Amino acid sequence: MVKLLFLILFIITYTNAKEPILPIPLQLSADLQKAKLGKMLFEDPLFSQDNSTSCLSCHNIYSGGADTKEVSSGFNNMQGDIHSPTVLNAVYNFRQFWNGRAADLKEQIDGPIHNKVEHNMDKTLIEQRLNSSALYKKEFSKIYHIQTIGYTHFVDALVAFEKTLTTPNAKFDRYLRGELQLEPKELEGYKLFKQYGCITCHNGINIGGNSFQKMGTFKEYKTARSYPDRSHVTHKISHKNVFKVPTLRNISLTAPYFHDASAKSLEEAVEKMSIFNLGIHLCKEEIDTIVVFLHTLEGETPAILEMQ
Amino acid sequence: MTPSRLISGIVFVAFISALLLVKFYIDQKEFSSKYKEFTLTLTTLQSKELQLKHDLLQNVLLSYQSLDTLAKHTKELELLYKQASDTPILRQENYQEVNKELQELSRLLQIKLANVEDQLMFNAAIRNSLVFLTTQLQHLQLSSDETLHIYKKANKILKRFTNAVITQDLDYLSKEEVFLHSDSKEAKLQEFIQTFNLHAHYLVQNFPQFIITTKYILNDNLTDAIEELKALFKEKAIADSHALDLFALIIFTIFLFSVGLIILLALQYFKENKKLHQTKESLEYSLTHDLLTKLHNRKSFIDTILSLQKPHLLLINIDNFKNVNDIYGNEVGNKVLKMLAKLLKDFLYENIYVGVYRTGGDEFGILFESIDETQALQIAHQVEKLIAAHTFSVGHLDIEINVSIASNNIAPIMENADLALKWIKKDLTNRVIAFKDSLNLKKSVKENLKIIDTIKYAIADDRIIPYFQPIINLQSAKVEKYEALVRLQLKNGELLSPYHFLETLKKTSYYYEVTKIMLHKTIITAKRYPEYRFSLNISMDDILNNSIKTMIFEEIRLNFEKKPNLDIEILESEYIHDTTKVQEFIEKLHLLGVNVLLDDFGSGYSNFSYFSHLDIDLVKIDGSIVKEIGSDNRKYHMLQSIYDFSQGLELENIAEFVETKEIAHILRGVGVKYAQGYYFGAPAPTPLLDANVKL
Repeated sequence: MVKLLFLILFIITYTNAKEPILPIPLQLSADLQKAKLGKMLFEDPLFSQDNSTSCLSCHNIYSGGADTKEVSSGFNNMQGDIHSPTVLNAVYNFRQFWNGRAADLKEQIDGPIHNKVEHNMDKTLIEQRLNSSALYKKEFSKIYHIQTIGYTHFVDALVAFEKTLTTPNAKFDRYLRGELQLEPKELEGYKLFKQYGCITCHNGINIGGNSFQKMGTFKEYKTARSYPDRSHVTHKISHKNVFKVPTLRNISLTAPYFHDASAKSLEEAVEKMSIFNLGIHLCKEEIDTIVVFLHTLEGETPAILEMQ
Repeated sequence: MTPSRLISGIVFVAFISALLLVKFYIDQKEFSSKYKEFTLTLTTLQSKELQLKHDLLQNVLLSYQSLDTLAKHTKELELLYKQASDTPILRQENYQEVNKELQELSRLLQIKLANVEDQLMFNAAIRNSLVFLTTQLQHLQLSSDETLHIYKKANKILKRFTNAVITQDLDYLSKEEVFLHSDSKEAKLQEFIQTFNLHAHYLVQNFPQFIITTKYILNDNLTDAIEELKALFKEKAIADSHALDLFALIIFTIFLFSVGLIILLALQYFKENKKLHQTKESLEYSLTHDLLTKLHNRKSFIDTILSLQKPHLLLINIDNFKNVNDIYGNEVGNKVLKMLAKLLKDFLYENIYVGVYRTGGDEFGILFESIDETQALQIAHQVEKLIAAHTFSVGHLDIEINVSIASNNIAPIMENADLALKWIKKDLTNRVIAFKDSLNLKKSVKENLKIIDTIKYAIADDRIIPYFQPIINLQSAKVEKYEALVRLQLKNGELLSPYHFLETLKKTSYYYEVTKIMLHKTIITAKRYPEYRFSLNISMDDILNNSIKTMIFEEIRLNFEKKPNLDIEILESEYIHDTTKVQEFIEKLHLLGVNVLLDDFGSGYSNFSYFSHLDIDLVKIDGSIVKEIGSDNRKYHMLQSIYDFSQGLELENIAEFVETKEIAHILRGVGVKYAQGYYFGAPAPTPLLDANVKL
């Protein structure tokens, strides 16, 4: 019975095959007012214990949305334990954080805000700071019609902003929509990307961000220290070095790469991936070709950032 | 418990049960929506799980596949589970079992999702290796036989791997060799073989877990668990709803019962109310109506008169209706009354009148408002003629009656009409009369009252006095008898003759008293003057009245030791109904030695037949004859005849009203033995001292 089912599915799915990568939608369903307020919050260091760190500190949304440092520094200049992932297009991730411990953006915010080495804040402190600010009181009451600002409103505004942080109209997206043709080399790179199996994990709207994979599937990936991987969530030994597959959108802008920021360039990242996860050695030419393709994934700056 | 309390109690119960029913309805609706919600969540969970399986299989079979859908479905599954476990209904005690099952479901779901996570990893690894090996194989240059051989073998192995993926069967891998080997020194071939074997080794290593996780995901009993959970929930919900249903049934029964009771009580209430209403109506009817003739009665008449501005009454009295009852019996009389009532109503149908009333036994009234006097009299005459001309047929009897009608619009309406009627009854030639103040009838009432008062005080003050008028023997010219005549002395000493008060007196209870006083005082005088005989007037009615009769006998028996010198005069002017009783009375008087005189003979009902029935001792000839014997020859002859007749029966006569010498002489000439009158002497308080009179 199972075999027959497989055969039928095999036929159906092959006849209905389409590209496994989807373009970012051009229309956003977001509350612009809330998003603008969220942007203020995002960029304001008021919400860290020592007024040193804003969200923007580690997520440069104006360029790639990630941190160029291996690990970010936060409260009291303390160092984080993992490379900061990009917030751009994070809304399309199936889970948040490298190890997927947050189900969505709302849950994610709790993380860095409370993290001792990041913002080192708590709910009450945030509310205190918000309510002692005339500007925020005015803005919040305008949108939420409230007298006292609560933590939930703070989170809501931030989430609204993060939802607008999408980078549509990447060259590849426009190709997918049939608006333009790719250069032959870019097309060749995409072909290799598929043929060598990168597509297996980097697919969907975010070209990744929709499954967990082991870093070093084929060959064990060893690091000097341990990182908060999936096993921290599932407590399974087999989930050691398992991380959420990162998005490849705007990948050319988010160096260094991997959770440990060990790859300084895209070429290095592609090479490492092919060795550790695909068990193959790509020649330089092939790597370059794939990198050329990866550059087509660079999207437009989120519209909200260009608004005044 | 009083009925009203009972009713309000029942209404309260009905109200409460209605409220409970409404609450039950709302609860049931809420329950049913909760039930549907939970079942729907479970069903959606089931379908999402199926979709997840579908996504996974697709992912197994397709080389490239976006995992977005699968991630989305995973999330949805988690959300749905949360939604299911948050269902409020599960917080109830009796759903604990369902909660437990739901926790078990959660465990299964977690395992499944963890398996999905792992499967995706194994699947990616295996797929990548397969894709890679396929690509490598295509790039292999078939330069030698050995290469071709390796190519073919590698192809076969790849096919086996692919089959293992499609069939999810490890048998494709375990029985056969999946590694390549060649002794060829060709570097490129050896490099291919090395890479191939590395990946084949990797595939073989990962395949079991790939298949296990896939099989687990596809074959775990999550669907069954959801199905069981649904069944369990349904069972609990049905039990729950059965309990609720039973409760509702009881409440509904109570509700129906109390509503039924209310209806029953209401019906009974209406029935009794109707009965009461009917009773009230019939009471009211009988209060204002005469039940025999269906006409309004006297009370209604009085009430109506008070409400009228200018009432005018025609009072109709049936002449001698007593005779109809006496002769034909009351039944016939009643029928006549009914017919008369109908006759009146029918006749008056076209006329303007307020109402026709039965104001008394044989009396009817027709009330008008603001009617012209002439018109009223006209109607009265019409009615009188109508009734006189009408024959009342009761069975085979034909009865004719006459009525007297009084017309009156002067207050007091009824009394005046009544007086007018009494007036007209005396005069049989006219049957319709209009009341006028000039009739002065009303004044006589006042006078009557005054007279009664006078009598009352006269008795109390012993002012009832007998006066005695001498009766002379015309032959001897001597007084032999005295007639006692009643006088009422007023307080001022003035004397009233019976003409002024007797008629009134006769209608009162004082009559007995006055009679007794007269008898007593006459007896005293008689005993003082034994040389004379005294006579006292007694009416026919007195003879028929037992108490007066007894009183007379007793007085005579007790006061006279020997033969009494007392006689009784019976007034002949009154009609003697029962001669037998009168004769008995006379006989008793004779036994006592009392003579009986027939008074006023020759006037009124003078009837010779009395003499054949009654043992009369003496006949007094009425003054109306005696007065005129000197001037009227007819009266003289009448006197002569009475004298002759009396002589024939050996009865002596007394002539009354002898006022002149001439008359006294004529009487003596005729031979009449006794005479009395002013010529001989007026009535005086005591008898005369000298018995001799001058003729």
